[in-house]
Amino acid sequence: MAVDRREAALPTAPPAVGAGAAVEEGTAGAPVAQTSLWRDAWHRYLRNKAAVAAAAVFILMVLYCLIIPGFWKIPGIWTSLKDYDPNEVDFSQSYVGFSLDHPLSTDKFGRDLFARTAVGGQISIAIGFAATFFILVIGVVYGSISGFLGGKVDNAMMRFLDALYGLPYLPFAIITLAIIGSQNFLAMTIALTIASWFTAARIVRGQVITLKENDYVRAAKAVGARWYRILARHLLPNTLGVLIIAIFLELPGVVLGEAFLSFIGLGINPPTASWGSMAQDGREAYRLHPEVLFIPCLAIATLVMCANFIADGMRDALDPRTRETG
Amino acid sequence: MTTFIIRRVVWTIPVILLVILMTFLMMKQIKGNPFRHTERNVPASIQRNLERKFHLDRPWYVQYAYYVKGVFTLDLGPSMSQRSRTVNDIVRDGFPRSLKLGLLAYLWAIVFGVPAGILAALRPNSIFDYFAMLFSSIGFALPSFFVATLLIYYVSVRAGLVPTSGWPASFWSFDSRVILPSFALGLFPMAYFARLVRGAMLETMQQDYVRTAKAKGLRYRRVIGLHVLRNSLIPAVTATAPLLGLIITGTFVIEFIFSIPGIGRYFINSVSNRDYSVVLGITVLTSIIIVIANLFVDIMYGVLDPRTREAR
Repeated sequence: MAVDRREAALPTAPPAVGAGAAVEEGTAGAPVAQTSLWRDAWHRYLRNKAAVAAAAVFILMVLYCLIIPGFWKIPGIWTSLKDYDPNEVDFSQSYVGFSLDHPLSTDKFGRDLFARTAVGGQISIAIGFAATFFILVIGVVYGSISGFLGGKVDNAMMRFLDALYGLPYLPFAIITLAIIGSQNFLAMTIALTIASWFTAARIVRGQVITLKENDYVRAAKAVGARWYRILARHLLPNTLGVLIIAIFLELPGVVLGEAFLSFIGLGINPPTASWGSMAQDGREAYRLHPEVLFIPCLAIATLVMCANFIADGMRDALDPRTRETG
Repeated sequence: MTTFIIRRVVWTIPVILLVILMTFLMMKQIKGNPFRHTERNVPASIQRNLERKFHLDRPWYVQYAYYVKGVFTLDLGPSMSQRSRTVNDIVRDGFPRSLKLGLLAYLWAIVFGVPAGILAALRPNSIFDYFAMLFSSIGFALPSFFVATLLIYYVSVRAGLVPTSGWPASFWSFDSRVILPSFALGLFPMAYFARLVRGAMLETMQQDYVRTAKAKGLRYRRVIGLHVLRNSLIPAVTATAPLLGLIITGTFVIEFIFSIPGIGRYFINSVSNRDYSVVLGITVLTSIIIVIANLFVDIMYGVLDPRTREAR
């Protein structure tokens, strides 16, 4: 099986959810008692210092992006009484360097980079989460249909996926953008979703196929549960762990994809701020003022690294068996 | 084994047809016509003739058939905006440069990534392991354009060690200009290989047959060399195909930054010029390369690990 890093990072065995839930599920209709498992995973996660630190930095970054643009206009947080609008052009302030007024300096147009990085982060992170969400929705629908029906349908659906897998992801996203004909938030989300939903579909299918063979699914079938009940009650809830990990496995790819596209001028375009378009802005003058390029890039790198660590930590927490070898 | 290979090879043909179809249909959806976007006022009769020349007046499936025929006879058609050149010319120009860039990036990954992974696995939780994995996490997270600009800024501009851009003219000539682009592109695969090999080795070392080998008194080197290394390099071979997609994506950006006239640069220019045939040609070409790489990896996998042959 061809593996990419998202697949490779996932546990091959089903997470412990199946085993835990099976004990409590004597009758098909009983509520799925999963609290103990999740609490267990939570404790295991907390023991992983790198993952906890990554989660903290991740949350801080998201909060920074959400809060700063609003509060930045309230005077007095830093020494100045001036309001900094992330899009306000003031050539007298161009490239002023690091100061208390401008903690992350300013760009060519004198726009405050502290505020602009936050606003750009909103777009980058929002595209990241939106595309990840759609990737997982498509992945769950496609993967569970394929895995659940099995046989010829599964074979055909997987072969189709194999063919799509051959399409290199960046050209595919670029062509999608050209079809949509605009390069805004929605277009970027759609393009990145279309270019990268395959892995999620494979992951869900693999998970559904493994779970399908479990005794509690057979038991549910034996007592006459309908297919949709088995799917909704027994299979999908047990893929939840994998899906939560998948959020943090897909997110880096999408954030980097946005940055790539914007950087080569085919994604979000300046003056709209996203981390990618800010990097594109910074490219012009980076020999004299490298900070304008480095700041958005460091923001991207930090976010991606945190997401990777969070995904690792979650995988270890939800499936302790892989912990030693990971 | 032979049946497995034949079945696998035959199977790639419909896959390639489907990939061409998907790309082709997507290209058809793009609004705008390359001939309607010129400043000059093109007379209607010339417009019609041009459309006839490129079969644009025929239904899509006829166009598709023409195109597939072209691909299989290695003729990707004329470029629509550079009238005197064909897509073949552009591919012949740009592809060797991109191929060289990609191969050199792989070389970085294999020469540094694989040994780093092996050494880290031999001494898990040592200082070396810690630094190798930290380095690998960083290599995973840094966007390649950032690595590239960092290198240009510090190595080329500040230290003045190598030129900031450019690429040797011929495929077999090498000079200092190839170092930075290939390293910037190779950093991700390097980090990936290091992590992958380390994980695979740690897993293999816990296998029963390794314990047996140790128990029967085999020397450490022989256990590692014969039993552990052989089995844990399989994932590195399998990872080659999916990595190829990432490397191709990377070349687009790296060529853009270092002004390397490879296919990635042509692709980006062609998207803005609405040069359908170049965009289509390059996408189809890279897709076919990936499909063939997948085929190769599957066969290799079948050779290296006989258990997988039956399953497919």
